[in-house]
Parts: sequence; C-alpha cells; structure tokens
Amino acid sequence: MFQVYLPIAEISVNLVVMLGLGAAVGFLSGMFGVGGGFLLTPFLILSGIPASIAVATGANQIVATSVSGALAQWRRNNIDFRMSALLIAGGVVGALVGVFLLKMLREAGQAGLIVSLTYVALLGAVGLLMLTESLRAIRRVRAGKPASGRRPGQHNWIHGLPLKLRFPRSRLYISAIPPLVIGSVVGLLTAFLGVGGGFIMVPAMIYLLRMPTNIVIGTSIFQIIFVTAVVTILHASFTYTLDVVLALILATGGVIGGQFGVRAGQRFRGEQLRAMLAAMVLAVALRLLLDLVLRPSELFSIAPIMAGA
Amino acid sequence: MRSALSLAGLLLAFSPAPALAAEAPAVAAGPVPREEVQSDLSTREISIQSNFTGIQILIYGSVDFSQTNAPDQSVYDVIIVIRAPSRPLVARRKERVAGIWINTPGKVFPSVPGFYAALSTRPIRAIASDETLKELGIGLANVSFGRDSKDDSEEETYRSAVIRLQEKKKLFQEHDDGVAFIGRSLFRASVSLPVNVPIGRYTADVYLFRDGQLVSKNQSTLEVNKAGFEQMVYLLAFQHPFVYGVLAVLLAVLAGLAGWAAFRRD
Repeated sequence: MFQVYLPIAEISVNLVVMLGLGAAVGFLSGMFGVGGGFLLTPFLILSGIPASIAVATGANQIVATSVSGALAQWRRNNIDFRMSALLIAGGVVGALVGVFLLKMLREAGQAGLIVSLTYVALLGAVGLLMLTESLRAIRRVRAGKPASGRRPGQHNWIHGLPLKLRFPRSRLYISAIPPLVIGSVVGLLTAFLGVGGGFIMVPAMIYLLRMPTNIVIGTSIFQIIFVTAVVTILHASFTYTLDVVLALILATGGVIGGQFGVRAGQRFRGEQLRAMLAAMVLAVALRLLLDLVLRPSELFSIAPIMAGA
Repeated sequence: MRSALSLAGLLLAFSPAPALAAEAPAVAAGPVPREEVQSDLSTREISIQSNFTGIQILIYGSVDFSQTNAPDQSVYDVIIVIRAPSRPLVARRKERVAGIWINTPGKVFPSVPGFYAALSTRPIRAIASDETLKELGIGLANVSFGRDSKDDSEEETYRSAVIRLQEKKKLFQEHDDGVAFIGRSLFRASVSLPVNVPIGRYTADVYLFRDGQLVSKNQSTLEVNKAGFEQMVYLLAFQHPFVYGVLAVLLAVLAGLAGWAAFRRD
C-alpha cells in the first residue's frame, strides 16, 4: 500500500524505504556539510533504480537538502559568499563538461565502469588523506596541543598565484584561480557521479586554501545548491534521466534528516567529524572496488538504445 | 462500465456455440464448417498511475464450430502470444581486464519486444512443428530480435542472455499450461504484466491449432499508457525537458525552504 510508481524510472518503490533513505542521507549531509550524494547514488542503485536515473535524481534531491542545510549554516554566519561565487562559476563550466562526458560514455556502455573507477580512486584517496590527518589531529588534542594545524604565517605554493582577492569571512588573501579550479572539478564530478562534491571540496578548501573548517562546511553546502541545480537541469534536458517523483520523496526525507544532522554536527569537534566522514568515504570506496573486482554473477547486461542517439 | 461490456462480449462469444451444435446434424451433408477462434481481453486499456504495481489481464475466447465431442477430450490447442512494441537494445558481456570486470562493445539487436508472453495449453513444441512456430514467432526460442543468428554460437550466447535477463524482469514469459479449456469451446488464460512494462500498443494473438496445423487466428490489442499525474510528468520530461528540469529545481528549493522553516529555532 505504500508502493509508489515512478514515472521516469518506470518501477514501483516503497515510499517508507525511500523516505528513510532520504532522511539518512540528509542527516549525514547536515552533519558533515557534504551533499551526501556519494552515499545516495550507490544506495539508489542497490535498491534497484537504474544507475543513470540515480545520478540525475540524486543531484535534484541534493538541491533540496542543501537549501535547508545552507539556511541553517547561514544563520550561524558560516558562509563565505565571495568564495562561493568563484566556486559556482567554475562549477557550472565543469557541470557542462561532465553531463556530455557521461552521455558519451553511457552510449558506449562504459558509464558504469568509469563512474565506479572514478568513485573508487577519489573516495579512496580523499578518505585516506582525511583519515590520517584527522587521526593526527585527534592525537594532538589528546597530547594537550591545539587541534588546528593552521599556522597564520605558513604559506604554500597556492599563495604564489596571481589574481589575489581578499576573503574577509575566511580571513584569507589568496588567488582566485584555486577556487575556480576546485569549483570546476567539483562541477564535473556532480554531473558525472551525481554527488554534491562536498567530499572533495571540503578537504580541498581545508588543506589547499586553509579555510577554517566551519566556514568550509557552510560555503560548500551553499555552492552545492547552485551546481546541483544546474546539473539537474542539464540532465533533464540532455539525458532524460531525472525522476522528479523520486527526487521529491528523497528530498522530503532529506530535509528532515538534514536539520537533525546540523544539530548533531555541533556536538562533535572538527577533527572528529573529519575522522568519521573519512571512515564512511573509505567504506563506500571499498564496496565499489569489490563490485569491480569480484566475478559478477551475471556477465551480461542489456540496455535500451535511445532513439536518435 | 468497461468490465460490463467485456462480460457482454464474453456472453456473445459463448452463445452461438450451443445453437450451432444443435443445427449441426441438419447440415451434416454439406461441408463441415471450419473452426474459428474468437477472443478478447478483460481490459483494452491499462492506465499506469502512482499506485501501479503491475496488473493481471485475462484473455478469453471460444472456438466456433468446435468439433470437440466431450469437454475433457479437446482436439484443439491454443497458443496466446502477447507482444509489446519492439525497441532496439544492446547486449554486453563483461570480461576481466587487468583484474577488473569491464563491458565489451556488445551486440545490437534492432527490435526486441518490450514485453513478450507465450501461453499455451501444453508445451508449444508438442503442439506444432519447429518450422511453424518459427514462422509465427511463437515461443521465446523463436522471437525475432531483428537480427539473423545464422547458427553462430557467439550470437546465440548473446541472444539467450537477452532472453534470460528479460525473463528475470518478468518481461519475457512462457507458460506451458497458461491456457485452460472450459467445456468444449471456451478457453481462458491470464498473464501478469510486471510494474516495469513498457508503454505502447500491445497485441494479443490467439492461435488455434489442430493436429499440429494452424486452423484459425485472432488478434486483439491492448493499450498501455501512463495516466493522470504520471502521464503529465512523463510528457513534460520528454517534450519540454528544460521546463521540467527548472520545475524540478524549484520544487526542490521549495522543499528545502519548507524544511528549514518547519525546523528553525529562533
């Protein structure tokens, strides 16, 4: 009785299961400042939604959770709007490239493979990096030293780039180039993997740009709204894989979960949050790697060929 | 309303048989009338709405001028084939390359039915010869995918993979005992359309066999369409994809705002 038919996916799903999935992902989204798409997309695929629909629909649901997440972060004054503008500008360019890349790969039947490989490489690398760093920070705190490794006078190669801008909210004076590049890479990933990109943007801003963790989370969640919105429209227009009914169900659960997530996040220290996120990222990477390496029970797959493609 | 019409159809189809049976001795001197099969479906139109979880349809019919003498000694065999419109499809096989399972380019089958079900009174190969079945495209082994396999074993592997995968999704079905005779001339069969059925105009072909020979054939059609809200979403998504995308984003933003407004604490 709780079955709902999805008009684009052309399958029937359980309303309660999908609401719960949305809520769980929304909770993580609010807690860590990530879109949660890197969990949502694989979960949707596991529950029987075709991969292509999971990617586009995931992007649409992230719009909703990130709107409510960003408002909560905005109330806490955690958003650097100037930084966001640069990230969004880069993100839109990356999204365009990503949608067309995915369309090409899908027609060649290699989308699943390349998407999974990219997930494994990215999540594996980012997860390991964050885990080692956050564990080191936790040890430092236990030893009674300050948790933050940020030293005001320290400069890296990023600070040698031209086009310098002032970012008062983040207390930074850095080049506009790194945020634009980070934005475009994340935009590409959003279109390509159906992820918000927080799992790469958050560490990139912390470790490359050396922004404070709380500002990073607010800024990341704010820019995700715009990039996922663009990706949603692009997928609807060019790949016809957006299922708005599924997206709305997931969003309803996600928005509720997101509010609890933001509150839960306040209870933990930055380095603890990073360690937990890292563990989760690594678990998803491992799961995807196993799927690629283990012998599949069914070697064959079939796919419809789009008329005109 | 529609079911009432169907019922009327059923009665009409059924009623001539006794009358003709009574006449039969009178015309015995003339040529024996040839059997004819009549059939219809319990529903002519299926609307897919939000509560759609699949549907069972009933196919019924009768054999006019039946020459079966006793209800339990039917001389006829009936095969019913339900087909959805065909679409091109690509089948790919995974191979291990450098420790990772990847898709090979695969084979394209130009026209694979989106749904195919063969129902019969007994195993189809016992009913008619392989040539006849192949010619009529009856049975999963004989469905045309718009591509000649020419006894190529590689090709056959792909073809059987397509059949296997479609069967797993209940989009291909074969039921040896799917058709049952009731009395001398009436028969019925039911088929379950799964939730993932493609939309379009389906055909239900009813073939009447006697001693391995096709004696009569009848076709009915079935429209499967999305309806109401589902149809609106579907049409918008495929005819005005940009508008659909923008609306989806606006809905998501509204959902986000609503969630925030409901949970704010200040």
